Order: sequence, then C-alpha cells, then structure tokens
Amino acid sequence: MNILDFTRRSAAISIAAIAYAFTAGPSHAAPQPVKLAVIVPLSGPWARNGELHLKGAQLAVEQINAAGGIKALGGAMIELVVGDAGDSTEKAKNAAQRLVSANPDLTGGTGAFVSSFTLAVTEITERASIPWLTLSYSDQILNRGFKYVFMTSPAASKQAADALPVIFNVAKSVGAPAPKTIGIIMDNTASPASFTKPMREGGFEKSGLKLVVDEVFTPPLSDATSLVQKVRTARPDMLLVLTTNVPDTKLVLEKINEMGMGKGRLPILTNGGHMGAPELVKATGKDMLEGVMVAIANWGGKGQEELIKAFQTKTNEPWMTQDSISTYGDIQLFKDAIEKAGSADSKKVAEALRSMQETSGAAKYFPGTLKFDATGARSGAQLVILQWQNGEPKPVYPASLATSTAVWPKR
Amino acid sequence: MIENFLQALVAGIGVGALYGLMCVGLALIFSVMRIVNFAQGELLVAGMYASLFLVGPIGIGNRLGVYVGPVVAALLGGVIVFFLGMALYEFLLKYISGMRATHMEGDGHNPQLSLTLGLSLILSNGALLVFGSTPQSLQTPMSSTAWEVHPFPGTDIVIFLNEARMVGAVVAILVAIATSVFIANARQGKILRAAADNPVAATYMGISVDGAYRLAFGLGAAVTGVAGGLVAIYLPFQPYTGVEFVMVMYAGVVLGGMGSVAGAFLGGLVIGLVQQLSTLVLPQQLQNTAVFVIFLLVILLRPQGLFGKTVDRV
Repeated sequence: MNILDFTRRSAAISIAAIAYAFTAGPSHAAPQPVKLAVIVPLSGPWARNGELHLKGAQLAVEQINAAGGIKALGGAMIELVVGDAGDSTEKAKNAAQRLVSANPDLTGGTGAFVSSFTLAVTEITERASIPWLTLSYSDQILNRGFKYVFMTSPAASKQAADALPVIFNVAKSVGAPAPKTIGIIMDNTASPASFTKPMREGGFEKSGLKLVVDEVFTPPLSDATSLVQKVRTARPDMLLVLTTNVPDTKLVLEKINEMGMGKGRLPILTNGGHMGAPELVKATGKDMLEGVMVAIANWGGKGQEELIKAFQTKTNEPWMTQDSISTYGDIQLFKDAIEKAGSADSKKVAEALRSMQETSGAAKYFPGTLKFDATGARSGAQLVILQWQNGEPKPVYPASLATSTAVWPKR
Repeated sequence: MIENFLQALVAGIGVGALYGLMCVGLALIFSVMRIVNFAQGELLVAGMYASLFLVGPIGIGNRLGVYVGPVVAALLGGVIVFFLGMALYEFLLKYISGMRATHMEGDGHNPQLSLTLGLSLILSNGALLVFGSTPQSLQTPMSSTAWEVHPFPGTDIVIFLNEARMVGAVVAILVAIATSVFIANARQGKILRAAADNPVAATYMGISVDGAYRLAFGLGAAVTGVAGGLVAIYLPFQPYTGVEFVMVMYAGVVLGGMGSVAGAFLGGLVIGLVQQLSTLVLPQQLQNTAVFVIFLLVILLRPQGLFGKTVDRV
C-alpha cells in the first residue's frame, strides 16, 4: 500500500465516521443495551437444568424488552449474554472468566445451578464487582464474606431446619395428626447427608419424632427390596426418601407401591429439583408419584398463572420448575434494581439490590420476603412444598403460592 | 425375621439371575476367543435401547401389550445385538484375534485391551450423542406389581414376588440353559468348542476359526443384550448405565470359573444373592463390599473359581 492509498483510505474512513456521528448521534441513538449474564451448564449431565434456567431468563428478557425496556435508562433494552458452565468447576470458572473479560460493561448475572460451579463462578464475578444472583443453596456460598453474591433460595441449612416444621404445618392444615415416627431411605451423597444432618442432630427430637428406620445406601441401587421391607416392618408415620437420581427413585417408589404403601398410604417427603422434573413422571408413571411431597426452593404457582401460560406457550414445557422461575425472577429483579439505581453500573445495581425491601415487582417470584442480609442471604426465604397430584407437581405450601390443597395420606 | 430372609432371598434370585445371564455373554466371548471384552457393558446397554426401540417405534408394545411386549422385545433386542456383535467382530476384532493374534506378543492381549476399551468409550459416547442423557424407561406395570405369596398359612408372613424380576429371572434361566445346550450339542456349538480348544488344529480339520469367532462374539453380545432388555423392564437407563454392571460381570465370571458358561451363570447368581442377603446382617451401604469380600475369599481359597475345574475352555 503506498502512502497515497493510505491517505485516501483514512480520509474515506474519517468521512464515514463523521457521517455516522451526524446521522446516528446521541440525540437519535437508542440507549446502550444493559448486559446481564446467565452462566449455567448447557452441556454434560446437568445440561437439562441449564436449559430450563436459560428458558426462564429468555422469557423475562423478551417480556421486559417488549414492554419498552428499562424506563430509568430511556427504554434501554436488556441483552442476555450466555456462558456454558459445562460439567466441571474448571469449565464453569473459565466460562465466567471469558464472559467477564469479553463484556467489561456487564451489569449483573445469574447462575450456575450446581453449588460447586457457583462457588467457582462467583470467585471471578466478585473480583469484577458484578452482582450475582443464584439459586444454588450451599451454605459455603454465603460464608466467604463476598459482597456481590445474592442467594435467592433458602440456604441448605435453613431448608433442612425448616422442612420438618413446614411439613407438620401441612399435616395440620388438612387436619391430620402430627406424625410421631419417621423413617429415612437415602443415598450417601452430599446432598441427602447435609439435608438430614440437622434433623439427626436434634431436629427429630425437637419435632417429637422418633427415627424408626434409617437406611443409607450407595448409589446406584440394584434392588430396593431390603430397604423397603424394613420400612414395611417398622411402619413409620412418614418417610423421607432422599435419592439423587431417576433410576434409584423409580426403584424405591415402585417397591413402596408393590409392598402396599404407595398411592398415598404412607406420607413421603423428598427434596431436590429432579423430584419435580417432567422427565421423572415419564420414567415412573404418575401412579407411583401420587401423593409424594417435595421440599424445594422455588416453584411457579398461584398469582403467576399468566406467566406460566406464557412460559408453556414459548417453551412447550408442561410446568414452570424451580430452575425456570428462579432465573425469570432474577432478570426481573435486576430490572427493578436498575430502575431503582437509575444506572446500569454494576456497583450501583448491587447497592440497590442490598437496599431492597420490596413486596411488589419481582418480589412475587420469590417465596417469602424479598430482603437480602449482609451475607447476601435472602433472610425471609421460604421453603416450598410440592405434592404430586394426578401426574403434576403442585405447590401446596406456602399458602400464598399454593394452587392445590395438600392431601395428607391416610394409612 | 423369616419374612426378611425370604424376601431378601427372592430379591437375590431376581437380581442374580440377570447378573448370571450377563456373565454368560462375557464368559462365552472369553472362553472361545480368549478376549476380555471391556465393551460388554455397552452391549448390555445396546440391548436396552434395542428393546426400547422395539417396544416404542416398532410397536411391539402396542401389539403384544405391556406384559408380553417387553419380554418379547428383550429377546428380539438380543437378535439386534447379535448382528451388532457380528459386525463389530467383522470390522474390528477380526484383526487382533484368532490366527492373526497367534504371532503377536502376549497373544495380542494388548491390542485387544485397547480396542475393546476404546470401543466401550466410542459406543457409550456415541449413544450419548444419539439418545441424549435423559434416562429412558419401558413403561410396564410389571415393575411395580408383585405376586403376594403366603408361604406359611396361618401366619401373617407375606413374600412379594416382583413380576418384572420374576419374569426376568425365568427368561434369564431359560436363555442360559438354551445357550448351554446349544454349545454342548449343536454342530455350531461343537465348532465353537473346537475353535476354542485349539484354533490351529481346528483350522486343519476344515473349521473356519474366523467364522466360529464371529459367531461366538455375536452370541456373547446377544446373550448380554437379552439381559439388558430384561433389566430395562424395571430400571431406567441412559448411555452410561453399562458401567454399573461391568464390574459385576467380571466378578461373576471369575467367581464362577473363567471359561465355563454354567459357572458364569452361577457366579452371577451368587453375586446377586450375596448382595441382597448381606443386607440382613450388614448396613445397606456395605452391599457391594460384601460381594467383593466373598470374591476375594474365593480367589484366595479356590483360584479356579467356584465351579471351574482347572483352567478349562467352554
């Protein structure tokens, strides 16, 4: 390229730039879009959960933008940037690193479903002062003194502490006598162990419950006969079934049914997102699940009928699970915070989130009250109880969310 | 107590008979070809998906109903896996086994190990691409219903015989007997035994060792495939399910005595029984520990296996 060419080209570029500045100058331009991140597993064994998360977030963005975007920023649109957390903490961390460096103007984000992934992702976002909302409920997430992490679900220890009193309330609300004896069938992975720890360490006694069967197995299960036979002999008033995968769940529930304790004869409480997944009913059939209760962090329920309908139409999913409603709520919550802060600056948005004490707006997507404490925990977060009724997991507790009344099984 | 014992015994037979059938497939391949097939778990899963395909899209479930359909599908699924096994032999295993392996270092065990292990990874990950990771299952009321038996009239002792497990066990025993009879009496069976005993001499006698090995691999795959179809009646599965059964298969074959088809079946049966009966005295978590303690004891006291004479082929 000779010097003349170079000058000509530079001149052309300058003219084009000036022309652009005049035609698309600040007075006419749409405001800068606000960037929000979603980092969830979109490949590997948790890909299905990631997909459900993303569907919720996408619906929220679509609705907010269609309604004119963020008013305080002159109708700024929300732009979703997505990262795949994959199947390991390493991949989750890398996804966060890439996303943060490629988007220095990121306002906030949500994810990453698996607690260990969230721990890794928030190490990166915390350093960049990006407010991060998460459904993950490991207590560790809160115990690091981070300032920009906000947990929307009740922490694991709180869920475990609340589960028994809540289930007693459910029994009481339908006029059933409080259970006196309880049994446990659980696998020996981290989640059931941490869920039952506070119960074993005095929780049962405090609730006046006697543990009469305590069966812990190593997954995968080859046969549930001996486990359920022991339950059949001891006949507890209620049973905790804490499995962490679909095949084990099917074996246990079918055996309970086979031995004449299914279809609502023995009250069963389970926990975890997989217990409300549409694919579970496909694997086990609706009869096996009838009456089974699930303790969970969030669910689409009463007052959200329109939203659920929009979600069903857009995604073809039969109901709005904890994963989808959480990310939907997260994006709505960010919108509220940005409106309140009047800015898309991540630090100001974090400040707005911290000072929130709302009862309207995005608050309705989070059971309990919407207020974060100094650690980032939502102090008023409430546990949700679902019950499988006629092939569908229906929220039966708390009353504000319940679309159905609990059926307390008769013996 | 008696009730618990009988219940565990019945569960052990139900689980063990299917373990036994899986072991028969592995033992057949090993005893004829001297190949330890690391991809046997994937052949089991192939049987599960074949069964699912026959029940659903092919419509066997609709035509034969939810009771007979899955059992027929498991047997026909075995036929599909038979051809899959033959194809795998023809395109891959042929080159590292039989006469070709006699000149290799260690009779070709190193390439055999690498190939079957690689095959296992390719089959499971390929299945993940095609079928996805969502667990699949055959919907049948058999898996959640039981025949109630009152063994001692006048007492309230009830034994629940799960329909899926019992039907599975009966079919597994029949298939194992049929395989055994085939090898002992049919002309093709004799060819298999000849090729197993001495491939060089068999070749001189006009036997196609290649053909015998192809049949052995196909048959071994098919038998394990049928077991897969029978397991699918009560257990949801995904592409990695095979891994859960592979250890049991190896242990069962070694326990029963390497190279003996009947021994392999009994080896699998013993594992099922130990697994279930151990829960009467040990915590449930130690189920598989009990299996391997028994396994190590047998290896220590009877290295040729429970039912093996010495190292004997077929």
